Amino acid sequence: MSAATAVLRRFKFSREVVLLGVLIVLMFVMSLLSPLFFTVGNLLNTSRFFVEVGLMALGMTLIIITGGIDLSVGSNVALVSVAVGFTYAAGLPLPLAIVFGLVVGLAAGLFNGLFITLLDLHPLVVTLGTFALFQGLAYGLSNAEAVSDFPDWFAYFGQAYFLNVVPGQLFIFILAVVVVWLILSRTRFGRYVYAIGNNEEAAHFSGVPVRRVKLALYSGIGLLVGMAAVIYTSRVYTARGDSGLGLELDVISAVVLGGASIYGGSGTIGGTVLGVLIIATLRNGLVLAGVPSTWQVFVLGVLLLVAVFLNEFFRRREE
Amino acid sequence: MSLSDDPGTQGAATVAEALPVFRLQNATKRFGGVTAVEDVDFDLRPGEVHALVGENGAGKSTLMKIVHGLYTPDEGTLEVGGEAVEFSSPRDAEGAGIAMIPQELDLFPELSITENLFVGRHRPRTRWGTLDQAAMRAEARERLRSLGVDLNVTTSVKGLSAANQQIVAIARALVGEAKAVVMDEPTASLTDREVQQLFRIISDLTSGGVGVVYISHRLEEIFTISDRTTVLRDGRHIITAPASELDAEKLVNLMVGRPLNELFTRSPHSPGEVALEVRGLSRAGEFEDVDLVLRRSEIVGLSGLVGAGRSELAQSIFGIRSPESGEIRIDGADVQIRSPQAAMERGIFYVPEERRSQGLILPFSIKNNITLSILDRIARFGFLPRSERQTADRFAKELSIRGAKVSDPVSRLSGGNQQKVVLAKSLAREPSILLLDEPTRGIDVGAKSEIYRLIDDLAKKGKAILLISSELEEVLSMSDRVVVMREGRITGEFGRGEANQQVVMTAATGGKNRPAPELRGNEASEDE
Amino acid sequence: MSEVQAPTPTEGGTTIGTGLRRWLVRPEAPALVFLAVLLVAFSLSSDKFLSGSNLESILVSVAVLGTIALAVNQVILCGEIDISTGSMMGLCAVAAGAVATSTGGLILPLLTGVAVGALAGAVNGLLATLGRIPSIIVTLGMLYALRGVILLVTGGSWITGIPDETRVLGTGSVLGIEYPVFVLLILFVVMELVSRHSTWGRNVFAVGGNRRASRLAGLPIDRVRFTAFVLVGVFVGIASIIYLGRAGSVQTNTGTGLELQVVAAVVIGGTSISGGRGSTLAALTGAVLIGVILNGLILLGVPGIWQDAVLGALILLAVATDVLRRRLLGDKS
Repeated sequence: MSAATAVLRRFKFSREVVLLGVLIVLMFVMSLLSPLFFTVGNLLNTSRFFVEVGLMALGMTLIIITGGIDLSVGSNVALVSVAVGFTYAAGLPLPLAIVFGLVVGLAAGLFNGLFITLLDLHPLVVTLGTFALFQGLAYGLSNAEAVSDFPDWFAYFGQAYFLNVVPGQLFIFILAVVVVWLILSRTRFGRYVYAIGNNEEAAHFSGVPVRRVKLALYSGIGLLVGMAAVIYTSRVYTARGDSGLGLELDVISAVVLGGASIYGGSGTIGGTVLGVLIIATLRNGLVLAGVPSTWQVFVLGVLLLVAVFLNEFFRRREE
Repeated sequence: MSLSDDPGTQGAATVAEALPVFRLQNATKRFGGVTAVEDVDFDLRPGEVHALVGENGAGKSTLMKIVHGLYTPDEGTLEVGGEAVEFSSPRDAEGAGIAMIPQELDLFPELSITENLFVGRHRPRTRWGTLDQAAMRAEARERLRSLGVDLNVTTSVKGLSAANQQIVAIARALVGEAKAVVMDEPTASLTDREVQQLFRIISDLTSGGVGVVYISHRLEEIFTISDRTTVLRDGRHIITAPASELDAEKLVNLMVGRPLNELFTRSPHSPGEVALEVRGLSRAGEFEDVDLVLRRSEIVGLSGLVGAGRSELAQSIFGIRSPESGEIRIDGADVQIRSPQAAMERGIFYVPEERRSQGLILPFSIKNNITLSILDRIARFGFLPRSERQTADRFAKELSIRGAKVSDPVSRLSGGNQQKVVLAKSLAREPSILLLDEPTRGIDVGAKSEIYRLIDDLAKKGKAILLISSELEEVLSMSDRVVVMREGRITGEFGRGEANQQVVMTAATGGKNRPAPELRGNEASEDE
Repeated sequence: MSEVQAPTPTEGGTTIGTGLRRWLVRPEAPALVFLAVLLVAFSLSSDKFLSGSNLESILVSVAVLGTIALAVNQVILCGEIDISTGSMMGLCAVAAGAVATSTGGLILPLLTGVAVGALAGAVNGLLATLGRIPSIIVTLGMLYALRGVILLVTGGSWITGIPDETRVLGTGSVLGIEYPVFVLLILFVVMELVSRHSTWGRNVFAVGGNRRASRLAGLPIDRVRFTAFVLVGVFVGIASIIYLGRAGSVQTNTGTGLELQVVAAVVIGGTSISGGRGSTLAALTGAVLIGVILNGLILLGVPGIWQDAVLGALILLAVATDVLRRRLLGDKS
């Protein structure tokens, strides 16, 4: 035990290194489980699945750093998906329907943010409420029906390949990673995010506009959810009330796995990206190995618990 | 004080030879590299009031936390009733009959008075095995009545006055059949009349054979009720003496360890134009109809009891809590301040009393703490500039922050240096009006003296300074003018010539003719 | 000597005003008022609503929800939360159902359901106390993990053919009251007693109200919280037998979404989500309120797909009302 902690202490500030190791080992195991795994095509194809989770995880990282959480992201995906599909089915030109979907996502996030900041409520309760509300609205408004007669070009967001191998949405994700990374590590806003997560009261006393930062964060994740939902809808080529069901688990697991403390104050974009990659590899590998999807949920649930436990365990060790 | 007979002294005479309730010998307690208490002896006899005094950080709270089982001493022994004991929790201490009433009362605001008395205690049961609510209520009522108050024991504690909450805390301590009660600053937020009530309760306790450890900064209280007094300084035991052998001046010298006038720096100021003017400011339950004027190059001391509404007033001016009525003028112009950001843009900065929870972001580096309030000024298109480091370096040097690099977490610094970081943060913003809330609370004498020099210097440079302080010496020595608050209202204003301990204390407590040499403050960050 | 006693806000006013005010600050008061208003509104808009059989069928329909809410209420009072009850109910029903189909009888399936629930609750409790993981994360993880266990155990197939003697808690009646309602009321009385008349019941309020003070008072904080989580498991186990009785079969998605209804019931009823304030009656009132609303919506012809939206809106409404009520009553803490 003491030897292990000594090693860990040396790698204390490079959690990313440890995660990278886990990722490599995982890929190795997966390639043993399925010969198909280690093909360029499959690896790139995996990105199809993680871009949606990844986009939302970027926003979730910032929210978790402030000590908050958003449980409503999965339901919000459904809401945006339905908003895009059903306004299009009702006759709105698709580009406008997509814009409308993004606005819905943003508005849903803003709604969370306003509720949280104006009433000083814990984000957990508010987003538990909107988790049900958004899901219910998506079911209700879609009348539990699906829309899938989109024009061909809509597939571009979720199904296009660049140079025949690289999925198009990978570029959107990389761009988003760079932007959010810059915001978190290089800007005043990013400093405010960490300040709020470490001591909200002192941040307020220091003139940090706490409410505005939170509003921006919850609206921002709403917009990211909107983007993820459009890609999702394009990928599965269907808009339905149950799109994105349970995605909040993937998103939160990825962020926590990436090292963000669920109590707020710490977390990095690099860690989150690795967390997303590990979860995507796991899911993809399990699919290739023929494990049913409900089992994957079990694995994810356990993974989330183990990740949080280890996080807090080592944090306490360090203190 | 008008206590006609003095049961305390009489009691002490008869029990002086009795076995002590508890005796602490050669106690030493270290936190990391810091020794909070070193080789201290302390004992409490049945039926006596033993006062424990010392400056902030002298080790009083640490010592009592050892007695109460919150800390285990690194060295030394504790005896209760003549037998050596080792407490591992407050529960053990209470089981041995030692109760503590902390300064910040740990009550359950949502629960009823009865529940507050019985949480964690043995509860009476009916013959069905259920809790006997009626018996608990009756006992609660009886306990309160024996303390001289008649309250509805089913009401929740959050609606009670500070004095009644204090009484509930005492009653709670007594449910455990205490033989010794430690009271940490029990009068900090009590008015004069309530203090007398408390003294009556204490003398009832001692005449029943209970020993009381009384921690207070108010020397006149100590002379009124204590039988013996122990002085701590820098974690060491200085003296234990009967009350009759000490006087105020002697006591202060023993506590501070050097004459007071060497501590303070004050050069002549010539107050200029009005910088901040407050008219009729009110906020229900906190302060009412407050008028206040601050001039350039002026230090205004704001004195009063804990809970008199001083911090709330300053925080309202700084935009943290919005006043319900009244006006604020800056340089003669009416302003609306709804947030700290707005206040900072008007040139106001507030240095909060709670350094660790409100002043600093402890895991952040010194640099990031210093620049946190000026990011909106130095950021370019929202991006952090490279010059941030130099800015932080400059202020760290200007305030001679010692003990760590500016890139180290601020939590590595000592209390005094942490306070300098808070001040550096405020100066980086270049405010014209500084509201300082207990700026020397819980820091060592050396850092205190440096901070006094800094405050004086700032006033010379033309800043308007409001100095909120519970240490009367500090207010009297540093201020050009002293304003006193009591129960949310301004009750006195004295020029430099008129202000003295007596008039200020009278205005602060509403009492008549209450000579009050005091040297106090809070203890919270002493040993964490 | 009582001259120092400052008149407190709750002590002023006339006796009637004081009495009303006292009643209004009770946690479940707004929910009860709301329930009364709804009962009047629904009975005016549909004459079927106020019939005895409809009212009893509402109570029967909330028996599972109400039973679990009574226990989750204690978890929330401790300042924790449990959102794993949906999957937990499914798992208990699977286990109890499997035993019922092989052995029959009532006692053995019931004990199985309770044991499985208690075990799952103990895992929640251990992770939240000794593991020091926030309970929302623990129970979110468990919500998915337990659903996975259900699939492992059942292999995705249904359990049908539950014998009649096992189903008695869902189908029978005693003293003219249907069993689900009877069980719910019994458990309500038990919880009311535990909450008011046991040390644990009182400690729950203290731990949720001020954790620091609880530690100083020497309360066994971890044990109090752990017990609450296990209690949820036990009540979920009992609820699963009622479910088995009413449904007669178990599917792999049994209990999906129930966790939201449970949390909604507790907070709508008036127990504060931040802990330390609430009552057993609040949980029951909240559960009945949800039953009335869902039943009323059906009578008014609102499609069932809107259920989730209504639930979500109710949770938000309840927590917002709680905050606004405190602000209006001048509670600055």
